[in-house]
Amino acid sequence: MNSAVMKKTMYWFVIPALAFYLVFWIVPILKLFQYSVTDYNGFVQSYKYIGFDNFKQLFKDGIAGSSLANTLIYTLVFVVFSNLVSLCLAFILNMKIRATGLYRTAAYIPTLFSAIVVGFIWSYVYMPESGLLATVLNWFHLNGSDLNLLGTYGTALYAITTVEIWKHIGTSTVIFLAGLQTVPQDMIEAGKMDGANSWQITKLIRLPMLATAITINFTLSIINGLKAFDYPFIMTNGGPGRATTTLLVDIFNIAFKEQQFGKASALAVISFAVIILITTYFVLKLNKREVSA
Amino acid sequence: MKLAKQSVTHVLISALLIINLLPLIIALSSSLRSIKNMTNPLLLFNEFTLESYRAAFTKMHFMQALTNSLVLTVASVVIVVIFTAMAAYPIARLNSRISKFLYIFFLSGLVVPSQMVIIPIVQTIQGLHIPSSQYTPILMFITCSIPFSSFLYTGFIKSSIPIEVEESALIDGAGLLRRFWQIVFPLLIPVTVSVVITQGVWIWNDYFFNMIFISKAAQSPLPLAMLGFMGDQTNPTAWNVLFAACFLCALPLLVIFAFLQKFFIGGLTVGSVKG
Repeated sequence: MNSAVMKKTMYWFVIPALAFYLVFWIVPILKLFQYSVTDYNGFVQSYKYIGFDNFKQLFKDGIAGSSLANTLIYTLVFVVFSNLVSLCLAFILNMKIRATGLYRTAAYIPTLFSAIVVGFIWSYVYMPESGLLATVLNWFHLNGSDLNLLGTYGTALYAITTVEIWKHIGTSTVIFLAGLQTVPQDMIEAGKMDGANSWQITKLIRLPMLATAITINFTLSIINGLKAFDYPFIMTNGGPGRATTTLLVDIFNIAFKEQQFGKASALAVISFAVIILITTYFVLKLNKREVSA
Repeated sequence: MKLAKQSVTHVLISALLIINLLPLIIALSSSLRSIKNMTNPLLLFNEFTLESYRAAFTKMHFMQALTNSLVLTVASVVIVVIFTAMAAYPIARLNSRISKFLYIFFLSGLVVPSQMVIIPIVQTIQGLHIPSSQYTPILMFITCSIPFSSFLYTGFIKSSIPIEVEESALIDGAGLLRRFWQIVFPLLIPVTVSVVITQGVWIWNDYFFNMIFISKAAQSPLPLAMLGFMGDQTNPTAWNVLFAACFLCALPLLVIFAFLQKFFIGGLTVGSVKG
């Protein structure tokens, strides 16, 4: 049987989802482009078209540059470490030992908490003087009281990225684990028979078989990294200075605190271009590599 | 020898995971202490009192917020399942340019963050004269769930529901609606579980759309009620109650997870890893 019996009338089934998707997602995205060349402030409906002034201003003030840089650093650190850590964890949890189910549960638990709860708890971890890190360091008679990771310009961005990594590890570990479990046991046995050591088995058999899982985890973490918003919003509000201001935090603040919808839309258009470019590049690259592997 | 090696591994893994969970463990232990007992948070579980929980329970209007969360999540997830399973059916079954386009078109929405488009979204909703009520976020929960859910459903129908299952119904001349709802949809249960869990968890935990559309305290779901504690995180004297509120907020999902664990972990990997 082929699609000859499957009638085109089936397309009616797409209508409800498509309607929601067009009205509440695609049309708003297109409107961003329109607003980005206006001085729209959200209240007065009669706005003027002002050409590329918003864009010029964003680049002149260094706003676009600094929030773009913060977002890219956040994404890079997040992609590298969340995947490395969860890949190692998946290998450990895939060993033939008892209680791996329990360990897997423990690794997965942080993913169940709301970002807002995670943000609050990690604010406590980083608090100078009485926070968790400070207390632990003091316990070992190291001077923890002065440690203020969130309040220091050079460390704040890495401190909040750590939170995102911590929250995300459970998800990517589970995906890596599922990938590892698809590696056929006889393939590993055959490798052993041929005299391969465990590093060679990992490198030559397990990692290539993980290609799909790696593609998925990399793609998801790139998308999530570029969407960085929750922890800078909850924990630092972009500070100190502009140290943790990501693109989305800036868009939100310019729109709702400064009431400059036009300018915020211009930054959204810039973000949109960056996100599309980066994700398309990596998705195409990863898929190509996976096919050839 | 093997036994010794195994126990070393166990100790190492446990140590690793305990360090990983330490922030949660300390927060839990502190939430069970009285307000006066704040020094030395590292002496774990040296007191059990529900004092902080009582305070947090009233401050966040827990029962009200829980009901609001349930209504929002259940309503959104039910509609998402119906809409995206339906949408995926023709996309998976028909092999035409339109279906290929729709597949990519839906999936590409995944990369766009909601914070980026929130201004025109608010404008659109106002423009359509949709009143800003406690149910407005449902519209956005449904919309933002479409890309990933339709992706999961399409993949599953293509890989696991052969056209032959509809054969007898086709011969009987059963209509499209009956074929889909009576034959195909029941076979989609594994992927429906996955959609319910992945989308249910983010919708349950989302504070952003609620923050944008809901302004009355009585209409707040749990994560939004947590926003009322903003500021307390830098005030050590309020930590016990803040942590109690954190665990009250997470409790419903933790309980569900405790019972349905294998669905959570299995649900995450349906369609994401080729067998």
